[in-house]
Order: sequence, then structure tokens, then C-alpha cells
Amino acid sequence: MFQNTKCECGHQNPTGTVLCEACGNPLVDDLPPDSPLEMRYDGAARRSQKQNPDLIDRVWNFFSSVKVAVWLIVITLIGAALGTIYPQESSFVNLDDPAQYYKDTYGTWGMIYHFLGLSRTYESWWFIGLLVMIGTSLVICSLDRVLPLYKALSKQQVRKHLNFLRRQQTVYETTLQTEPAEWVEKFARELKRKRYRVWIDRKDGMALLAEKNRFSRWGPYINHIGLIVFLLAVLARAVPAWHMDKYVSLDEGQIKQIPDTPYYVKNEKFTVEFYSDDELPERLKGTLRPKLYETKATLYTCTADCDDPVKDPVLVPVKQHNIQVNSPLSYKGLKLYQYNYEERIRLISVKPMLVDKTNNRSYGPFELPMTDPPLTYKAGPYTLKLSDVYPDFGLDEQNRPMTKSRDPNNPAFVFVVTGPGLAAGGEMYIYFPMPSAENKKLQDQLNESFRKLGSNSGRFAFEVNGMENVSFSQYTSTLNVRVDRAMPYIWVGAAISMIGLVMGFYWQHRRIWLRIDGRALTLGAHTNKNTYGIRAEVAAALGRTGIAVEPKALDNRRNKR
Amino acid sequence: MNDWLNFSSNAFIAAFFLYCAAFIGYAIAVAGKRWSNRDPEGHAKRWGRIGFALAALGWLAHLAFFFTRWKGGGHIPTSNMYEFMTFLGMAIMFAFIIVYLIYRKVLLGAFAVPLVIIIIAYASVFPSEVQPLIPALNSIWLKIHVTTAALGEAFFAVGFAAALVHLIRVVDYSRTDKAGRRAQFWTEFMLVVIVVVIGFLVSVFGFRAAGYEAQFRQETFRVDLQGQGETIVQTVEYGLPPIVAPYNSEKLSMAPFLGLKEPLFEAPSWMNGVNAGRKLNTIIWSLISGLILYGIMRLIARKPLAAVIHPHLDGIDPDDLDEISYRAIAIGFPVFTLGALIFAMIWAQIAWSRFWGWDPKEVWALITWLFYSAYLHLRLSRGWQGTRSAWLAVVGFIIVLFTLIGVNLVIAGLHSYAGV
Amino acid sequence: MYGGESVKRYRKPIQYIILAFVVLIGGYAIGQSFFKKSTVLKAGEAAPEFTLADLSGQTHRLDDYKGKPLVLNFWGTFCPPCRDEMPDLQRIYEKWQGQGLQVVGINLSEDRISVRSFAKSYGVNFPILLDKNRKIERLYGLKEYPTTFFIRPDGTIQEIAVGGPMSESFIEQRVERLFQP
Repeated sequence: MFQNTKCECGHQNPTGTVLCEACGNPLVDDLPPDSPLEMRYDGAARRSQKQNPDLIDRVWNFFSSVKVAVWLIVITLIGAALGTIYPQESSFVNLDDPAQYYKDTYGTWGMIYHFLGLSRTYESWWFIGLLVMIGTSLVICSLDRVLPLYKALSKQQVRKHLNFLRRQQTVYETTLQTEPAEWVEKFARELKRKRYRVWIDRKDGMALLAEKNRFSRWGPYINHIGLIVFLLAVLARAVPAWHMDKYVSLDEGQIKQIPDTPYYVKNEKFTVEFYSDDELPERLKGTLRPKLYETKATLYTCTADCDDPVKDPVLVPVKQHNIQVNSPLSYKGLKLYQYNYEERIRLISVKPMLVDKTNNRSYGPFELPMTDPPLTYKAGPYTLKLSDVYPDFGLDEQNRPMTKSRDPNNPAFVFVVTGPGLAAGGEMYIYFPMPSAENKKLQDQLNESFRKLGSNSGRFAFEVNGMENVSFSQYTSTLNVRVDRAMPYIWVGAAISMIGLVMGFYWQHRRIWLRIDGRALTLGAHTNKNTYGIRAEVAAALGRTGIAVEPKALDNRRNKR
Repeated sequence: MNDWLNFSSNAFIAAFFLYCAAFIGYAIAVAGKRWSNRDPEGHAKRWGRIGFALAALGWLAHLAFFFTRWKGGGHIPTSNMYEFMTFLGMAIMFAFIIVYLIYRKVLLGAFAVPLVIIIIAYASVFPSEVQPLIPALNSIWLKIHVTTAALGEAFFAVGFAAALVHLIRVVDYSRTDKAGRRAQFWTEFMLVVIVVVIGFLVSVFGFRAAGYEAQFRQETFRVDLQGQGETIVQTVEYGLPPIVAPYNSEKLSMAPFLGLKEPLFEAPSWMNGVNAGRKLNTIIWSLISGLILYGIMRLIARKPLAAVIHPHLDGIDPDDLDEISYRAIAIGFPVFTLGALIFAMIWAQIAWSRFWGWDPKEVWALITWLFYSAYLHLRLSRGWQGTRSAWLAVVGFIIVLFTLIGVNLVIAGLHSYAGV
Repeated sequence: MYGGESVKRYRKPIQYIILAFVVLIGGYAIGQSFFKKSTVLKAGEAAPEFTLADLSGQTHRLDDYKGKPLVLNFWGTFCPPCRDEMPDLQRIYEKWQGQGLQVVGINLSEDRISVRSFAKSYGVNFPILLDKNRKIERLYGLKEYPTTFFIRPDGTIQEIAVGGPMSESFIEQRVERLFQP
């Protein structure tokens, strides 16, 4: 399979060259004789033509092929489409048993879907593998083509072979009526007015090359570079330190640590505003549609005793912000977004009075927080000591007091009251700060049972006077905490890609060659896109030099069909 | 409501009728050529210009609709299905005007204008009241993302129209070999699909004008994320006579139609979404009315519809159509990338703090992008031109429509709009 | 040849470098899709280190318990099976303490007062440590309560019992295995 690479013009071409590097004469005859030439990469040899490609060469050639790239794109496209048939596992916040859920909700097809891994399509090894292959293809395809293209375009010849000119997409042949040198100058001027760069070769008859918008050819390669940067940035997000995505739920007034960081966040206040009925259309009147909701949040950092098991961490506030859906709190790469909220009344703290029922005297008030309550309190002459705390009071199977959860949904406190006039061991009372009929009943029942056991005399009660002695949270706000150090690079990659696309699609690389032999003018023109436009331009330029011709007449493609 | 919104609705109606008039103008330009034995070229040119002028006027009325609705509603009108589809129609008309100014091919108008008409008619099926935005949608990036994406898709639509013309232009009814017959079949099939869409519009608007109503009470059993089962009871309303009732439902009320007092059958059990039965019914009605329409047209024409249109397209070079189709897609591709992917990522990052979440709508936008990317690679690097490229442009636009309509109506997600 | 002799000379190394990058980066990308889910502790792995305070304020570290077998029980007063198995754990502790068995209960970030009251009423006298902010329970990847880790003298996990209540015989079987070499 030996190919002759020496052109009749005398130039020795590399193996695999389609059009002679010097004069453009076609060397490879795989197209019908009069059809337009294959002008990709200006006919330069693109690929290695070794006899025995080794493994590396084979892999390289595989990824360098556009056919393979298109297949990869199509398979990825189909795979992505399959992932939309049923909701993905990642769209659920709390899915206990995926296999069971898919089977129950979607039947046999759901079961198959989950079994094949399609419920986790976008994290699966084969989908990521496809993206890796597309990335590889981007790199190798581009490298393989951009270098020969650059070489071909930077050393262009002005004088081309007649075969080359006659087989372009846009062709014009005529006999000049005027002096060739003069005419060529005029034509060159017209082309320069259309922003072409013009080179003229005056030996052995005139030859001219006019070119514009060469930069447009680099568009696709810049686009590919942008995509590669983008994909690499996406991958970088998998590095743990560069990416975090957590949720923190806070009642008003509550402060919580952002897990695995030295940061703490406090929900100072949460507010929500709804659309009023006259802002809503008929259909939606009466519904509660949120117009705006925000969390006034403070971000703290721990400066000392951060991991001390006994002492509380020392916190220093570093940033304050009113977090809304489109406006996160941003601090050193850490971002806190408003994710969701729930209306849920929870007590923060109360200031009850200790009431002596025998003489109707009230003592206190003393401050009782619902979480982390201190051990002792003073109310008048009496001392109260907490003997038990139940954040979410309930009774177990044997009707003994217990807590149903760790959240302060319905707190209960067991106090032992000591002081003047009381038994040495003190009196035991249970107190439910949250006002409800159920709580009152339980409180009375339990205190009564203590009295029957002799633990108290029934003398004391607890009372909270007025709302100013109650501090409560009305809303629980959920914030989304994110770190995304790779984000800037994602935008950089996207921007580069856009620039490449715009360069490549909104300008076209155009070239016009002509040669004059005696008085015979042969003109050929080529563009990678929009032949319509270049025909119009050539016809217009010719028209201004005195040769009237319809753009349609320049069209040489018809020979093929 | 208020004055701005009233003006807006009137402007919309004006735009619709102007577009219809433009279509008639174009149809006369194209079809009349054969009967105008005096001067076919001049005839086509004159009526082409009339058609274009009417279309441009219609577009101005459409713009008026858009901006007055913006003023009257307080936010840019692109936030529900009705608003978005009307915007898309406006964008397609804009894209057509641009492509027409470049190539000056009258024929393109004869196909692009009806496409716009169908799209805005489809938009009108959905509720058109102005709705206040929920906080997540209230950002300037909404305006930028939706409008840019729609503009990109508009150019794809023009590319589709040109590809359609190309295919009808090159289909050869004298061929009897397998490949020839296949080309004839699929070209005709495309036109049948368009007729079915027209059938959908005719049914929906026809029954809506007649005030038709039927109601069902449906019970669905659902299992939630923790494995708990629950039964939900809902009322489903139909605007078309129920041929198929929702699964596991009882009829509450049904206006009789042509002697039909009871639904003919029930939707299968795997269609357990609350609106699945109604949508299936709508699809069945579209098919029935579309096929009836098609049947009537075939009876009158006595040959395939493509064969009826084909002779009128002789004046245009298929290579030019191929180029127009490609050029429209080439102009639209960067715009689509910017709007549907990049601006979408920016908006998602700001609103939901994740730039990409593999939400079905996002995935289908990516699929559309990948598909057109394959189209461009096949065309530019593998030499796929002519009919192959035209079919790809048609499939591409179908994917665009699925992304806009199919995902909203069939698949759920963060992006869902209301349905019909 | 690909554009000339000079190009040939550096083409091969470039191919090698690029393909090496592809294998590395691609391998990492695909590999981490497999390992996304393993934050779960398994038998054979070393038990993660912790430093927690007990009810009297003294700090204990996991390291303090190396050299002898350890039963580490995560529990809370809000969790009925945790409460139900406390007496059994206490009995096992009394029975095997002489042979060197250590039993430690880590409370799931509850209030000290509740924990002390509970421990007293159930007569628990093995060390009870107080987790803060759910930090250690997250470190140990707990999904259900109670969860008990049977840890060998060298600090590696022999067995994990998820859920409860564990019966005395159930605990005893596993303790016996802890004492086997």
C-alpha cells in the first residue's frame, strides 16, 4: 500500500497528504473527477500512516476518530435519557430502602430499573466512564488536528494548481478583456475593502490569494479546551476538601455546629412574608403562597476548646447576613443558602414563678432554658434542683416517664425543691412549660402520684405570668451549607467554551485564489461554512471590477449531484 | 385585571390573525405560482413580500402583547407554560425574520409561519392568568436564562422548518425501490404527526368552546419514602369527552357526547398519576381527530400530502435549503448553549446552590445539546449533508419539543409547570 | 509521517503522557463512583478514636481501653430497646469484669441530668460517656439505635450489632468470641 507522495510540481509531501502542500494538486483520487475537493485541514496529512501501529497508536487513533466521538455522544445521550424515566435515588432526601420503594411505586419495571442501576445513572461507573472517554476524545481529537491545521494555514502558497482551483466549491473562469496586472490590482482593492488580507505573486503570470477570518478556524479547538477545563473542574469537586453539601436545621435562637468544620451558625430570627389576596389571581386566593422568606443568621468560628468534651467551645462571630433563597451568607468559600422552613412552635426558655399554694405567695421568676438547663435555681428562699429532664415527654409501656426523642417538642422538668419549712429531702414536682390541656392533666396526675408516695406535700405549683416571660421559636429554618472551590474553574471552562463557539460559528474563514495565465482567469474560493455568503462576496467584488456575474453561477457544487 | 393586561390580550389576538393572514399570503405566493401563467417569479416575489410584511406586523403585535403583559403583570411573562410558549413563538418569528433577511427565500415563510401559529395555538391551551412568582423563580437570571434558551430553540425551529421543506422537496414519488419507498413513507409520516397536532388543537378548542365538562373521583394508593402506604382521593376534571377514564375511578358527572354516556374503558393500572388518565384521553382524542382530518385531506387530494406540496417547491434549490437549515442551527447552537446550559447553571447555582442536579429538565437540555453537537460533527467532519442532515434536524427539533413539553407533562421535577 | 521528522520525535512521549493522564484521572473518576458509599464501618477496621467526658467530668479516650476486650454500646434514654438492654449489659459487666472485660456506654448527646438519673435508676456502674453534638455517633456512622461494637484488645472491631434489645445470651456469645485469640 505504498503511496506516491511526490507531486508533479516537484514538492515532496508527507505520506497521507490529500492535496499537495505546495500547489494544491490533488494527490489522492478517491473522489469523482470533477467533484469539489476534500478541503479538510487543507488536505494536509493528519494521521500517522505507520505500517504496524502498536497498542498506544491504536488507542490514540481510536480516540482521535470523530466517528467514535459521535458514537460516544450518542450513547451518553441515550444513557442520560434512560435516567429520566423514573426519579433518581439522589432526588430523595431520605430513602430508606431503594429496592423496595421502586418495586412498590413502579412495579416490575421499577424493580428492573433499580436492579440495572439506572436509579443511580449519573453516579454510575459506566456513565462517568463515558464522560471520561468524551474528555479523552476531546483532548486527543483536538491535538491530532490543530497542529497540522496550524502548519497548513501558516505556510500557504499563493499560486495554486489549476486542478485545485477548478474543483473548489466556488469557481469562476473567464478571459479578461482588460490588462491583467491592472485588473488584479483593482480586484485586490475591492477585496481589501471587504477586509481580506491579500497576497499577490507576480512572477510567471499573476496569482492572488485573499484570506479573512482565519481566527474562526481555531474556534472549535478553543471550545474543546473550554469543555476539558469544565470537565476537569467537575471532577475536582469530588476531592473532599473542595466540596461540601450539608443541611443544618435551626430553630429560632438556636446555634449549631456545621459538622466537620470549626464553624457554628445561629438562627437569630426567621421571617416569612406571604402574597396578600389581592396580589393573587382568582384561582389562588386564600392559599398561602410565600413571597419572601429569610433567616437572620450569624456565623461563628470556634477559637478555643473546640473539641473539649467537658467545656463549651469559645465562639467568635465572624459574619452576619439575612439569608434568602437567592442571597446566601458567604464567608471564605463557605456558603449558607436558605433551603426550606417549617412552622413549628418550640419553647426556647420560660421564666416561671414558684407559687406557694398555702399562702398564695409567688417567688422568682427564675430562668429555665429548654436545652442544656443548669442544675440549680433560686426562687425566693427556696432552691430548686433538677433531678430529671425529658425533652419530649411520654410514657413507656409500663407508664413510666420517658422522653420520645431528643428534640424539645414537649419538655418536662422534675424539680426537687428545698428550703425553709420543707422536709430535709426536699419536695419533688414535675413541671410542663408548654401550655396544653393534655400537659395540665399529666402534670396534675403525676404530681398527685408523687404526693401519694410522700415525695411532696402538694404545696407548690409553677406559673408563667404573661408572654414576656416566654421565649419561643415559631419557625425551624433549614439552611444548605456548601463549599465549592472548583466552581470558579467551572465558569472559566464554560466561558472559554462559549468564546470558542462564537468564534467558530459567527465568522467564517474565507479564501479566494486566482491565477491568470495569459488572459485566462481561473478563480476558486473556499469557506468552511456559508458558501452562500462567499459566492455573494466574490460576485460583488467581480462586479465592481467590471465583470457582471450572478452569485448562483459561481456555485460549483452542482457537479456532484 | 387591569388595562395593560386587557391591551395585552387584544394584541395577542391581533398577532394571531396577522400571522394567519401572512400564512395565506405565503401560500398564495407558493401555490399560486403554478396558476399565474403571466409571471410566476414576479407573482411569487409580490405575494412573498406581502406575506413577509404581514408576518412582521404580526410580530410587532406579538411584541406589544409581551411588553404590555410584562408591565401589567409586574414580572417578565415567561414563568408558566402559556407565557413561555408564546414567547417561543415570538422568538421563532424573530429567528425566521433574521434567516429570511440573510437568504431571502420566500418558501421558508410558507413553513415557518404556520409553525409559529401552531405553537401559539398550543400555548393558548394552557391557563393564561398572570401568576405571582414563588421566591425561587424571582431572579434576573430567570429572565436571561429563559429568553436566551428560547431564542436558541427558535433557531433550531427554523432549521427544522427548512429541513422539512428540503425533505418534501427531494422526496421522489417516481421511485419504487425500498430506499425510495422508505423516504416517501417517513416524509408523509412527519406530515401526519403535524396533522395530529392540529387535531389536538381542534379538539381542545372545539370542546372548550362547547363548554364540555366531565368529572371523576379517583382513588390512588401510594407508598411513601418510609414504606408507609396511603390512599389519596382526588377529583379529576376532563375538558374532552372521556373515552378512557382514570384508573380506579368513578364517574361524578359526564355530559353525553354523540350518544356516549359512559367512558369506554379505564386507564391501565400502571398509569396511576393523578392526571395520567386525562392525558391519555387527550392523546386518544388527538389521534382520532388528527387521523380523521388527515383522512379527509387524503380523500380530497387523492395522493399523499407530501406529493401535493412537492410540485410547488420546484423553484428552490435543495442545496440552498440544506444550507439554510444548517445555518439556522449553526446560529442557534451557541445561543442555545449560552441560554439553556450556561445561564441555567448560573441561575441554578444562585437559586438552589447547585449548578447541576441532574433534574429531568436539565438532563433533557443536555440531551438536546449533545444531539445538536452530534449533528454538527456529523455534518462538518463526516460530510453528512442533504437528506441525512435534514432528518437529524427534524429529530433534533422533536427532542427540543420533548424537553419543553414532554418533560413538564410526563416527568416530574423541580421544573414542572401546570398541565392540561 | 505526521507533518515532519521533528514532530515524530516528540509525538510518542506526548502520546504516553496524555494517555497516562487519562488513565490516572479517568481511573480516579470511575473509582470514586464505586467508593462513594463506604462511610460505613466494617468488621476488621480499627475503631475510630474519641475523647469524651463521663458523668463526673473526667475525660476518657478509646486508647485508654486498649489491651483488653471492649463492648462499646451507643444508647439514648429516648430509645426503648436501648433502655431494655441496659440491665443485660450491666449483668454481663458484673460477670466478666473479673476476666478483664470492659463495657462502656456512649450516650447519644443527651442532657447530663437525664443520663445521670437514668443510670442511677437502672443501677448502671460501667462508665457512661457523653457524646456532644452527635459528633462521635456520626464518626461511627450510626444509622440505627442502639448499635454495639465488640472491639478486640488491639482496637479493631470484631463485630457490630445493629439494633436491639440484645439479650444477655446474645451479648455473652459475642463476648466469648472477643476473648478467643
